[in-house]
Amino acid sequence: MAANYWESTQRKHWQFTKDDLAGMRQRLDEEDPALVQMFPLPQLRHLNIYFNQQINRLGKRLGVRQQAMATAQVYLKRFYTPPPIRQTNPYLVITTALYLACKMEECPQHIRMLSQEARSLWPSDLHGHDAPRVGECEFSLISEMHSQLIVHQPYRTLLALQDEFALTQDEMSLAWTVINDHYMTDLPLLHPPHVVALTAVLWALVLRPSGNAPGTAGGGNAGAAAAAAGAGGVAMAATALAQAQARAAAIAAGGGAGTPGFGSQGSQQQQQQMGFSQGNSQGDGQAAEPKKATDPRLAKVQRFAAWLADSNIDVEAMVDCTQELISFYECHEQYNDKHTREQITRFIKARSLDK
Amino acid sequence: MSLTNPPSTAAGPGSVSAVRNQALKRSVQAAFEDSADRGTGSMGYQSKVRVTDKYKVVGFISSGTYGRVYKALGRHGQTGEFAIKKFKPDKEGEQASYTGISQSAVREMALCSELSHGNVIRLVEIILEDKCIFMVFEYAEHDLLQIIHHHTQNPRHPIPPATIKSIMFQLLNGCQYLHTNWVLHRDLKPANIMVTSGGEVKIGDLGLARLSYKPLHSLYSGDKVVVTIWYRAPELLLGSRHYTPAIDMWAVGCIFAELLSLRPIFKGEEAKMDSKKTVPFQRNQMQKIVDIMGLPTKERWPLLTSMTEYNQLPTLQPPINHSGGHHGHHGHHYQAPRQTGAGVSHLEKWYYNTINQQTSGSGPGSGTSPLSILGAEGYKLLAGLLEYDPEKRLTAAEALQHPFFSTGDPVSANCFEGLKTEYPHRRVSQDDNDIRTSSLPGTKRSGLPDDTLARPVKRAKE
Repeated sequence: MAANYWESTQRKHWQFTKDDLAGMRQRLDEEDPALVQMFPLPQLRHLNIYFNQQINRLGKRLGVRQQAMATAQVYLKRFYTPPPIRQTNPYLVITTALYLACKMEECPQHIRMLSQEARSLWPSDLHGHDAPRVGECEFSLISEMHSQLIVHQPYRTLLALQDEFALTQDEMSLAWTVINDHYMTDLPLLHPPHVVALTAVLWALVLRPSGNAPGTAGGGNAGAAAAAAGAGGVAMAATALAQAQARAAAIAAGGGAGTPGFGSQGSQQQQQQMGFSQGNSQGDGQAAEPKKATDPRLAKVQRFAAWLADSNIDVEAMVDCTQELISFYECHEQYNDKHTREQITRFIKARSLDK
Repeated sequence: MSLTNPPSTAAGPGSVSAVRNQALKRSVQAAFEDSADRGTGSMGYQSKVRVTDKYKVVGFISSGTYGRVYKALGRHGQTGEFAIKKFKPDKEGEQASYTGISQSAVREMALCSELSHGNVIRLVEIILEDKCIFMVFEYAEHDLLQIIHHHTQNPRHPIPPATIKSIMFQLLNGCQYLHTNWVLHRDLKPANIMVTSGGEVKIGDLGLARLSYKPLHSLYSGDKVVVTIWYRAPELLLGSRHYTPAIDMWAVGCIFAELLSLRPIFKGEEAKMDSKKTVPFQRNQMQKIVDIMGLPTKERWPLLTSMTEYNQLPTLQPPINHSGGHHGHHGHHYQAPRQTGAGVSHLEKWYYNTINQQTSGSGPGSGTSPLSILGAEGYKLLAGLLEYDPEKRLTAAEALQHPFFSTGDPVSANCFEGLKTEYPHRRVSQDDNDIRTSSLPGTKRSGLPDDTLARPVKRAKE
């Protein structure tokens, strides 16, 4: 239900497996191969980055709260699970998603204000679109989403966890940024919000660079922070997850609970299996470096891992989130804004979706 | 609150004829078949299902600021009967255009899609078609307003105590479900509490309900005025910006009292919002509460002094002290009468007068009133719900644990159990016409002629 994720329509109807999503997308493409051929689109991650930026641009102009923008992102993702992007005007869908999300998050914006703002933001792509078009698109949006409009956000879990893990302001804002970024991936359709929130906390704990300023966070992209911290942090995250898994397994097996610690044989092996210590991305083999007992953040990470092991959290899912985020940040580096915008404009113009 | 859909409040008698001219002679069926244009351009919205293909509308039930409710049957063997709530497009009669769905409709759609509980009305589906929203609900034959009304009729006779107990238990159960899910109903009143023919109580009309979990803005800034005036909690009347599920519990207390006495316990008159849209102090309503509950005191309600309208309290009349009134005025001490007993509640007296009242139905010499069986526990529950301090007021969970429900016969899940008579069925009219003419604001329905008109406007929305 509304405040209970486990009974929510989000869990029942809007959480998919990767295979589900891949299957749905493939079927869509196969429905109209000619259309797909004629209007090539950037890879989905890049498209998501672009959409995310557009929602933020529009939202910021109107002073819309982050939470409403996040909900709008999820609406966009839900909406585009069935209908093909090329048959819609994404700018109209973005405007409408934000309009509806503001109502749902109880910070409504007037439909005329919003559509005016949208038209001045994307004058050539939306020139025929007045408030009634947004109103009409709202019907499509609600209908495709089966009126399931309540979205459970990781932000709330994060706030609830702040005290539990004694997170500092810096750690909080880094975790917050990771959550912001996860809306550019498929993660909101794949994992429960608390899994995403916990992954973000873990990232904040391991990435919080001792020397390097975490200032990049506020800018809206943890990628830089991730790069700065390098593979060391990521490997540390992986180790923590592996430790949690091993410990949980040990507890489940009834064995000596809590015995496997950092650097123990068991967790090392698991870590290898998951392919983390191979040194993802900028891996330079320094992974083991921060394990010196003097490191204060090690203690925090260890506490986190212990907490995870004692909880019923799906650590496997957190591993998946971590991997997804890593590949997202890698992919982010190749993102080309102009290219993406042009490809969208091409099909909008060619198919007269701007009229 | 409606940035998108100005409510049709204050459509006084003057506008009635205009409305009549617009749409005379429209049958109930026709209300579902006024499809204008379908499919506009490539992004044009087209419904996948048509409401009239799926449902056969058999009559009209009621109307309000939101639109109208119809009774319907399934065309494809769907079991049971349905109530279809049609949200009207903004400007009726004219060429309707998409103007954005009202906040209230969005809330109701979203919440009803999530909620699932035996004591909350069940949503079957939502159909978006031709600029209209159709919400299809399970049908409930009765509602508390109708049941209360029935008992005021020839002769006036009290609702059986077992029925009251069952209704209260189910109502509280539904509230507990809503509240544990952070949903505030914000418009609990007899007309919104449905009862099925099987005696199940279902909380309905979530048009003003909202989630209260970590709101981005204060609840007050969203909707300046919530809850129909007679059921509005004192903290709302006194201008509280942040309120809690306790506002629903006050309304439940008022409903309990109304089930006992068959009259609204605090039947005040609503002060209208002035042209500047400032929210007025509801002096008359607050006075009605004070008349029975006594003046609130900061001893019993510590946060009282921080209420916006706190300074209005001295302008209210302390309750007339029936019992001790005489020596209060005669005595030689010069203490202001306000100090003596101004804060004393007369609720207990009200309660025992009500449950021990000889009704015309029981006839002379028929012994005690049937309600007297509710005894002291009934009073304690009522007093716990009608507690001034929202922090001390019973929560739904606490109320469910109240000895009121564990003393005496066990509570039945069917509030009609053991009743010999059946309540009259909901009146369903075959034609829309009379409804369009009486397009006054508020919850109108066919079936309850005089009483309804005296009822206050559903809720004055910002």
